[in-house]
Amino acid sequence: MECNVKSEFGYDLLELSGEVDLQFSPQLREKILGSLKTGNPLLIDLAKVSYIDSSGIASLVEGFQTAKTSKLQYGLLNISNTAMQVLTLTRLDKIFDLYSSIDQFKQKLQ
Amino acid sequence: MSSLVTYIESLGAYCVTALEQTGRTFNMLVQVVWELLHPPYRLYPIVRQMYFIGARSLTLIIVSGITIGMVLGLQFYNILQRFGSVELLGAGVALGVIRELGPVMTALMVVGRAGSSITAELGIMRITEQVDALECMAISPDKFLIAPKVVAGLLSVPLLTMVFDFVALFGGYFVGVHMFGVAEGSYWNGMIDAVQWQDVRIGLIKSFVFGVLVTLICCSRGFYMHLTKAGSQGAEGVSSATTDAVVLSSIAVLFSDFLIGALA
Amino acid sequence: MTGNTQTDTAITIRNLVVDYGPRRILNDINLDIPSGQIMVIMGQSGAGKSTLLRCILGLKKPTSGSIHMLGTDIATASQKEIYKARKQIGVAFQGGALFSSMTVGENIELPLREHTNLDEKTIQIMSRIKLDMVNMLDAEHLMVAELSGGMAKRAALARAIIMDPKLLFFDEPSAGLDPSTAAELDQLIITLKISLGMTIVVVTHELDSIFKIADHIAVMKDGNIVETGTPQQISASTNPEIQGLLNRKPRETIVDTDAHLRRLTGGF
Repeated sequence: MECNVKSEFGYDLLELSGEVDLQFSPQLREKILGSLKTGNPLLIDLAKVSYIDSSGIASLVEGFQTAKTSKLQYGLLNISNTAMQVLTLTRLDKIFDLYSSIDQFKQKLQ
Repeated sequence: MSSLVTYIESLGAYCVTALEQTGRTFNMLVQVVWELLHPPYRLYPIVRQMYFIGARSLTLIIVSGITIGMVLGLQFYNILQRFGSVELLGAGVALGVIRELGPVMTALMVVGRAGSSITAELGIMRITEQVDALECMAISPDKFLIAPKVVAGLLSVPLLTMVFDFVALFGGYFVGVHMFGVAEGSYWNGMIDAVQWQDVRIGLIKSFVFGVLVTLICCSRGFYMHLTKAGSQGAEGVSSATTDAVVLSSIAVLFSDFLIGALA
Repeated sequence: MTGNTQTDTAITIRNLVVDYGPRRILNDINLDIPSGQIMVIMGQSGAGKSTLLRCILGLKKPTSGSIHMLGTDIATASQKEIYKARKQIGVAFQGGALFSSMTVGENIELPLREHTNLDEKTIQIMSRIKLDMVNMLDAEHLMVAELSGGMAKRAALARAIIMDPKLLFFDEPSAGLDPSTAAELDQLIITLKISLGMTIVVVTHELDSIFKIADHIAVMKDGNIVETGTPQQISASTNPEIQGLLNRKPRETIVDTDAHLRRLTGGF
């Protein structure tokens, strides 16, 4: 798994790739919570994620709750079909803000 | 003739079963030691078991300790009075309690109070597939279930024995000094003069051995229930395994008490 | 893994024999369990299906034969290798086999606490996600003794899938449940296959659920696998053993009324 946080204009973009499993989700969690501490909105790009397990999803959920408490925008971008199925199964698709393009997220920010 | 053959056969079968069970119990000890030497080390499960084996037996230990002390005081007073040497009462009570009765009675109380429920708990876990479930989660039952109990037994029984000894001495004191008017000074001084470090050490060694022995036998009886005749009998099997465990560990305590006494 | 055949089968069982004393419990079992699908092992009690399951899980050492699963031959593997393989499987036992000294939540979190270094918060969210999947989010703080049979089975399922296993084993999912709870559980098993791509092995004798959930069926009788195939193939089978299992044996018509009377009264 690789995850890089890039500071864009007005928000942070977290690019995630590879397999997010029990081994790597603590790292993901740290990156998400660390980025939210800076007080910027966060968009997580899941386009290159080949697999995400429930520990990864749990980290995304915790991030969302943290963002909500600090009143920050928090979105998931380009979520893959398999990941989407897992979200649907746990009814999380209704909870998350899902985006299919960065522009969509930017519009929401304004 | 044929009845003799049957008798010898059943005797042989009995011996084989007894040997198998001893082997399994010993194997369990080896497994527990192996698990204890390997991380992760966890304190909380041991503390929890110590609460269960130790703290919850405390009332029983205190009550029986006082009673035994009083009985000893009474008994010794009657004997010593005939020889006109009641000043030896403290020494007699102390030696009897510290060397023999303290460790043995405490161990027997723990067998009845905690040992039986250890066997029942593990037996029920076995027949309801909880042990299998642990295995299937790749969690070693030896580490998760057995080791904390054995360590807790090893630590709790000596501690309980100390409590037992302490209150028993006061039981003897109460009977001797307050009921029969033995001089308070001679009771305590006689005790201090007579009891040597050697006596305390034997009592302590015994209680450590009993602690491991009792928990190990009770654990192995419950845990390996499925391998014995009781295994196929469900709830009834649990109750007979529990009875077996109590009988066996009581005998083991008494026998090893003799053994340690003879060797030391 | 090399070759397609390897990736298509999750479990390969060859010439599996289990003897118990002089009795032969499993007699030369050969079975391929395809990955990503639901395989139902059916048969009456005593047919050997539980023994087969215990062998696959490494709980029972077979007399001979091999069981290849997750790159290990479970039949000959060391305890360490078996434990490694078990971290990638989930098992839901018939009665739930939940630990009665813990709450439902603690039961489900146990594998995570034992095997991972995840943050407390992550563990909690993961366990609640799984509880939500089995529709038991409200039961997190209940003690196991407070659960009904159906709830215990669902909690056991949540515990079995907490580590996102590749392989899920389910022993008698619908036994002892009322029809609607059983149907709910069947649906859940199908959902797990479709959404999470799990390979699922179900051992059962309940005909209703077998034909609802199975992609493949293996029929066992007296320690043998009598037939394997899709539900359609099995129900169309002309094998009298299978016909006997599928339809209840018709009651014989009473010809000799005297004999029947004697059978009922013991003849006095």
